[in-house]
Amino acid sequence: MADAAGSVAEPVGLELAEQFSSKDQQREAATLGMWAWLLTELLLFAGLFLCALVLRILYPASVTLATTHLKFWIGATNTAVLICSSFTMSGAIVTSRLGFRRLMLGCMLATAGLGSIFLLLKGFEYYQDYNEHMMPFLNMPYLLEKDTSSRLFVDVYYVTTGLHGLHLITGVSILLWLTWQASQPRFLEFHQNRIEVYGLYWHFIDLIWIIVFPVLYVLNR
Amino acid sequence: MSPSDAVLRDPGTPRITIDRPADYLHAEHTLRSWFFTTDHKRIALLYLASITGFFVLGAVAAGLIRLSLLVPNGQIFTNDTYNKLFTMHGVIMIWFFLIPSIPATFGNFLIPLMIGAKDLAFPKLNLLSWYIFMGGSLFAVVVLIVGGVDTGWTFYAPFSTTYSNTYVIPALLGVIVVGFSSILTGLNFVVTIHKMRCPGMTWFRMPIFVWTHYAVSLIFLLGTPVITMALILLVMERAFHIGVFDPRLGGDPVLFEHLFWFYSHPAVYIMVLPGMGVITELVAAFSQKRVFGYKFVAYASIGLASITFLVWGHHMFVNGQSQLASTVFSFLSFAVAVPSAVKVYNWTATIHKGAIRLDTPMLYAMGYIGLFVLGGLTGLFLATLAVDAHLHDTYFVVAHFHYIMVGGTMLAFLGGLHYWWPKFTGRMYPEAWGRVGAFLIFIGFNVTFFPQFILGYLGMPRRYHEYPPEFQLLNVLSSAGSTILAVGYLFPMVYLIWSLWFGKRAPANPWQAKGLEWTTTSPPPPHNFLRTPVVDYEPYDYAIKAREVG
Amino acid sequence: MTGPGNHTDYPLLLWPAAASHAATHVDYLISAFTAVTLLLTVPIFIAITYFALVYRAGRKVERGHTSDRNVKIEMSWMLIPFFLTLGFFAWGAQIFDTAKHPPGNAMTIQGIGRQWMWKFEHPGGQAEINDLHVPTGQAIVINMISQDVIHSLYLPAFRVQMETLPGRYTQVWFQADRPGTYRMYCSEYCGTDHSVMNGQIYVMTPGDYEHWLNSAGSSISLAGGGKRLFASYGCTGCHGAASTVRAPSLAGLFGRPVPLASGGTLVTDKNYVRDKILNPDHNLIAGYKQVMPSFNGVIPEDEMIQLMAYIETMQEVQP
Ligand code: HEA
Ligand code: HEA
Ligand code: HEC
Ligand code: CUA
Ligand SMILES: [Cu+2]
Repeated sequence: MADAAGSVAEPVGLELAEQFSSKDQQREAATLGMWAWLLTELLLFAGLFLCALVLRILYPASVTLATTHLKFWIGATNTAVLICSSFTMSGAIVTSRLGFRRLMLGCMLATAGLGSIFLLLKGFEYYQDYNEHMMPFLNMPYLLEKDTSSRLFVDVYYVTTGLHGLHLITGVSILLWLTWQASQPRFLEFHQNRIEVYGLYWHFIDLIWIIVFPVLYVLNR
Repeated sequence: MSPSDAVLRDPGTPRITIDRPADYLHAEHTLRSWFFTTDHKRIALLYLASITGFFVLGAVAAGLIRLSLLVPNGQIFTNDTYNKLFTMHGVIMIWFFLIPSIPATFGNFLIPLMIGAKDLAFPKLNLLSWYIFMGGSLFAVVVLIVGGVDTGWTFYAPFSTTYSNTYVIPALLGVIVVGFSSILTGLNFVVTIHKMRCPGMTWFRMPIFVWTHYAVSLIFLLGTPVITMALILLVMERAFHIGVFDPRLGGDPVLFEHLFWFYSHPAVYIMVLPGMGVITELVAAFSQKRVFGYKFVAYASIGLASITFLVWGHHMFVNGQSQLASTVFSFLSFAVAVPSAVKVYNWTATIHKGAIRLDTPMLYAMGYIGLFVLGGLTGLFLATLAVDAHLHDTYFVVAHFHYIMVGGTMLAFLGGLHYWWPKFTGRMYPEAWGRVGAFLIFIGFNVTFFPQFILGYLGMPRRYHEYPPEFQLLNVLSSAGSTILAVGYLFPMVYLIWSLWFGKRAPANPWQAKGLEWTTTSPPPPHNFLRTPVVDYEPYDYAIKAREVG
Repeated sequence: MTGPGNHTDYPLLLWPAAASHAATHVDYLISAFTAVTLLLTVPIFIAITYFALVYRAGRKVERGHTSDRNVKIEMSWMLIPFFLTLGFFAWGAQIFDTAKHPPGNAMTIQGIGRQWMWKFEHPGGQAEINDLHVPTGQAIVINMISQDVIHSLYLPAFRVQMETLPGRYTQVWFQADRPGTYRMYCSEYCGTDHSVMNGQIYVMTPGDYEHWLNSAGSSISLAGGGKRLFASYGCTGCHGAASTVRAPSLAGLFGRPVPLASGGTLVTDKNYVRDKILNPDHNLIAGYKQVMPSFNGVIPEDEMIQLMAYIETMQEVQP
């Protein structure tokens, strides 16, 4: 345990919950459950993507105009940040399977850190939008006032990124809480599965952003 | 002597007296043990109590609606009060009563029992669903009663986003939250059915009840997120003027109708499929016969769950939807009748040459078939383009959906409640009272809602507080019927509660029914079975079997 | 009895009055459908009751079975009713098709729905509120729009209804053939006074209608009013013949294909023109510099109707 690199492997396992008859059953159930949840989440976002695409078809000029006011480079940086975080999360999963708890904790903290960087950048982006009067729903002049349809697209942009941000805030909070739990002794022996299932969720948030970025920022820019 | 008496004295019923562990009701007694339970059976009863409460509230609103419609010129309430009443009635009945009714109570209680599992896959999540449900629904119900909302259960924009002066946002938030509870319940069922079946319980040995719940869970998972998004957008537009639906903000009101019905048509199958599952169990048990065409009925459930996502446009024939789209939606709505027809005819064939007992649950089942068929076929009338251009938004539609939802699902719910009551509580209900109640409900129902078909064809629009005087006679008839119906509903409410203390003790299998839930004690022990069951026989393994031919 | 003329005594009504040929047609459809419905359901009801009585537990009857399933029977009771009812789908779709396509010689009445009243304007400029007078023997199109929420114009005597949407025109048409007074409702829920947003439709002989038009009086026709508005809103400044601004001529506008700046073409109709006036930045036209101001929130719906009527007449006036 005291080993600095944390390279002493700990026992890895799963505590059988009473409703299951085998550990395999329990593991499969948890994974299937998370997939089902992610499916509904995907559908939740799908409605918004559909809205954005329909707007692009209906009002291509207005949407192009609006996209030029989005901060492409912040979006791109954020994409990179999230992709890195997916790598660190995978690292956490791999190390957890091997029982390298220290390394795993490090990976998890790094993931949470990257998630927070994303949120900070996003907040900064919103702040810039605010300064540029790109917030049509506020009681202040809107930069593209003349172009009524651009407003719709900008609104969809806020709803989508806001909802994604909400997922990320939840994700980081759960991750920190999980890190705290995992820092307790014998966590891996009983609950390694949680890291796996949580990993699915994190990759999913990442995936959603990877769809959001092209749909909102990139297409016919 | 009623048949159930005979069963009670049946020497073949297993009686375990020695070493019997406490059943799930008596395992613990504290309030804590109820509110923090993770036992699916206790959670089912929590749901049962809550939705019954909501039903009573919704029914009181219905009573006041019928009271008001006794007179044509709307003297009893103001127009605003009336609008709030039918909104409250619709919202409570649909979102907080009928959608959770059978899945969250019977489904919760019975799915693990029927597939031989100790519990659902995620018991804590199950409890969480109940808390989410209660949080959202209580909040919304308080808003509906204290402040009032006047949009109707359909929340059409731009009325709901811009013009209504009532508490639309809190009500919407309540409905959104309840949606998450549906999603979690559906998720739990899907995983449980996939992963928790006991040894030998193959897919085609599952009771139809489980099949229908599987189908419903899929709709929960695939449909609910869409309505959640649509309602979130409504809230956004109302709160922050984010223009999505109101044309003055650059939006499109028809878009909301699309999003709303994309979920809400499948939602009607959320409401009807579990009822079909219940009826299948009842018909088989009270005919003592294997379900005719088991596989067809199972496939029909999944078929319904898929086609149902393709017909939402039949609610929008007269809103400027393109003629081509309308024609396609009309055609698909006719196609949706096919799986329903399979069920109805197969039930009839199951009864054929059975050994039929007309106990209360069977009376409800027979009532169900009759009323569901009427409701379903009038649905086909509405799916016919030229007819809907006349009948859209009239009382004909009101009658259509009450026939299916009240005549159908509500009767299935009551039938199932009687059938499994011994399993839930360990007590029998009084049979004679049960039959009288069933008759009253059947008669009261028809007197209430049949006149509404005529009213609709005559052209009385729905959501009308004041109506032309020539419609009064039929409206009075309908209100009179609703008092009979009200008395009918009171019957089970009273004697079922009475039976909790004074009912006869129930044996493990009072109906001599097949199915794993009847192999354990009534009420079951905390983990359902003393020993994990192993299944090596087909479902509905009743004595009356087919002579093997060919 | 046709309509609500006599308000003193109301016998039990069982069938609504039909004031058009199409309405009678819908009645035939629904009667035939009801008959087939009975054909499909009565056997079920009888069978269930009969089986329940004959095969009651304890009775000694033959219960031998040949099979638990029979694919042939199952397929046939799945498909036969389906194909039977499909006939009604086709029949209904056919009537609906007619209902979607008014004949070319139809007369257009403009309608506006708003919380909580109907306003109609006849071509000659006669306006009426919550009442509608129409002649028999003449196809009538009602071109409607809503000023606020969604309403729906419902005319049970013609078995038709159509929603009126904010921001978009919708049409409904009928041809009355039986004079009388009939009910007219708003059937889409629209707020507090939804249930009193209704009135009567007076179907008159052409002679009576002519008479009514004269007595209703109107200083100026719809198109005439539109011409004035066209000048007073400054449209002439750009679209007038003498204008120096490069703006498209509006003559012969309706039904004309318009090339768009974004590529593709669009055929003009009322919704397009209305949208152009309110949101000129939509659907930019190829070859023009967009300088037209938006009239969103400036032109109310009834003036829009007049403008539209005027633009429609411009087809004939200019070469
Ligand atoms: C549980 C709820 C439920 C169910 C199951 C259904 C089932 C069906 N519904 Fe209904 N419907 C509602 C609840 C439901 N509906 C509600 C709440 C509304 C109003 C919403 C609002 O505006 O507030 C509505 C409105 C509604 C409309 C819109 C009316 C309008 O507003 O203009 C239409 C139109 O097509 C329709 C059609 C159908 C059809 C074709 C079916 C079919 O699925 C029915 C299939 C069943 C059968 C056909 C009967 C059994 C079969 C046989 C006996 C075999 C023989 C028959 C054949 C094979 C043809 N429904
Ligand atoms: C599960 C769903 C469900 C259930 C069980 C019911 C049950 C009943 N509904 Fe329901 N109804 C809906 C779902 C349901 N309804 C929906 C979704 C709408 C559409 C709402 C909308 O337009 O947005 C609707 C609309 C609706 C209307 C149309 C209102 C309008 O458009 O203006 C009417 C009118 O008769 C009505 C009546 C009834 C009656 C009489 C009952 C009966 O079954 C209830 C019988 C019970 C009682 C009557 C007990 C209460 C008794 C008293 C309070 C004592 C006083 C009683 C009297 C004076 C009679 N309902
Ligand atoms: C400042 C000049 C100006 C004024 C004032 C103006 N317009 Fe225009 N209008 C234009 C221009 C320029 C276009 C072409 C714009 C484009 O690219 O879409 C146009 C296009 C149109 C079109 C579409 C024509 C087509 O061929 O598709 C209509 C209809 C129209 N205007 C109606 C009106 C009406 C009605 C008014 C008054 C209420 C009005 N306009 C006032 C400049 C003007
Ligand atoms: Cu206007 Cu209802
Ligand atoms: Cu539907």
